[in-house]
Amino acid sequence: MDITILYGTETGNAEMLSEDIQSHLEGDHSVELSNLSDFDPGSFDKNRFYIVVCSTYGDGELPASAQPFAEAMEAAKPDLAGIHFAIFGMGDMEYEETFNNGSKRMEDLLTAHGAKKVGERITHDASSSDLAEDLAMDWADARVAEAAGLVEA
Amino acid sequence: MSVTIAIVGAGPSGCYLAQALGKLRDDLAIDIIDRMPVPYGLVRYGVAPDHQGTKGVIRQFARLFEREGVGFVGNLRIGDPEHGADLTLDELRDLYDVVVLATGLSADRTLGVPGEELEGVFRAGTLTRHWNDHPDEAAHNPALGERVVIVGNGNVAIDILRILAKETHEFEGSDFGDHHATRLEQTAVRTIDIVGRSPAAHAKFDPVMIRELGKLSGVRIVVEDLDDATEGEDKRLAALREIDGHGAADAAKTVTFRFGWAPERAAGTDGRVTEMHFHNASDGAELVLACDSVITAIGFEDDTSMNRSGLVGRASDAEAGVVEPGLYLAGWFKRGPRGTIPENRADAQALAKRIAADLEAAPPSGTRPGATALRSRFDTITDYEGWLRIDAAETADLPDARCRRKLTRVEDMLAAARAKTET
Repeated sequence: MDITILYGTETGNAEMLSEDIQSHLEGDHSVELSNLSDFDPGSFDKNRFYIVVCSTYGDGELPASAQPFAEAMEAAKPDLAGIHFAIFGMGDMEYEETFNNGSKRMEDLLTAHGAKKVGERITHDASSSDLAEDLAMDWADARVAEAAGLVEA
Repeated sequence: MSVTIAIVGAGPSGCYLAQALGKLRDDLAIDIIDRMPVPYGLVRYGVAPDHQGTKGVIRQFARLFEREGVGFVGNLRIGDPEHGADLTLDELRDLYDVVVLATGLSADRTLGVPGEELEGVFRAGTLTRHWNDHPDEAAHNPALGERVVIVGNGNVAIDILRILAKETHEFEGSDFGDHHATRLEQTAVRTIDIVGRSPAAHAKFDPVMIRELGKLSGVRIVVEDLDDATEGEDKRLAALREIDGHGAADAAKTVTFRFGWAPERAAGTDGRVTEMHFHNASDGAELVLACDSVITAIGFEDDTSMNRSGLVGRASDAEAGVVEPGLYLAGWFKRGPRGTIPENRADAQALAKRIAADLEAAPPSGTRPGATALRSRFDTITDYEGWLRIDAAETADLPDARCRRKLTRVEDMLAAARAKTET
């Protein structure tokens, strides 16, 4: 499958996790990696599966590198019908109320333009003893398996 | 041979800079030097012990040393020999093609009001390092008493407030030392007044820091001076309004937020603080808070050990952090005491591009030796393997509900770092 991993990051943690997911999937798939800040909303492609990794920052806001993308989406209003994506959130339960808001906002932004979410969005808690990659690799494998029948090849 | 780069200061700015440089060029031999035997600077010693999620950036930085070939040179102080430095900046520059100073700004700003020298007046940076087990502040022994006044309204002030307001069990999962938790329990703080000079809408803390206080179980929180606060900074005021009245009326501790009060003087008897005086900037009203201690949390400044003002003064592009090609400033040491860890990440990425461009424009003629020369000259320096041994010692046999028990003395760190080679 052709896969694009898009990350929205503030501290670099989501970028590092995205690199790890890329390495993990690369053996069996063709995987591209892009910072959301460098990604043109007009370039979504039905023949690719999108894995989005997005943190939360400040008071439940999108992280810095996702903000230009969100603005470009609002401006371009692309039709994302037929686009499939899965989304993995990163947050910190020390800030319980807003812990997964960044990825929730990103999910809402994509679905509002017609993209279809594959599987559940889960959020890693930076204050837990679990490592993000321990959660993310199994999650990514499961999402890629689900996407196999959905993404046009 | 590779271009050799020394980054002085293994805190977040130095580590992000090494990361960004490594992404631009793969032919750089980068060493991160720190005066402590351990890396990570502010992340280890400044970020609050109960904010382990924020400390999670360490996992990124560890990769620099584990996968990217960046070297760690610990226990080596650069700067003025009169400040105890092992090596001057000029000597370091003789050994590396590029030197970047990222040593931060760790000295506490002072209020500049009478009475500040009284016993019982403490400074937030010193206290934070003490609570984070920084060896420099191991001997610091703050007798806070039951009534504490915090002067300042930034995130550091809120960190201090939160630690004082927590119950012992609320430090679960942190690396706040048992000795500190026990000390606080014995101190039995009853009232914490946190006083800001600005009106509530212009307070400097992030709203999320206020929301976090909503989880505290043993404290009553009251917010004064909100009545005539103007709308505008909605999230900050909303967070304060929401937290106002938190907790049971008979809680053992009470936190009171006060806004719009400029500190005027600390007063005391027998050399010990007993009152903090403020005045209202708009109507001249007076506020006197009886207290057992005052903690000032009004920002940071240069500790003068690195001749920062001289370096900034002769910088060809101070804004970008360029003193001259081959010598750069990064992070707070460059930009001043402003901006969060992520803001300094963006800053480090910009500086990395500038350094790469300078290297492109004028490649170093003869490559300088770098860490090899340091290691042959100093047998006291620690490396990343040494840090891993210290890390293992700090995370073995942990007490209940702690994620780390820091070594608090440099000699213990050095012994732990050497442990393996001696057996």
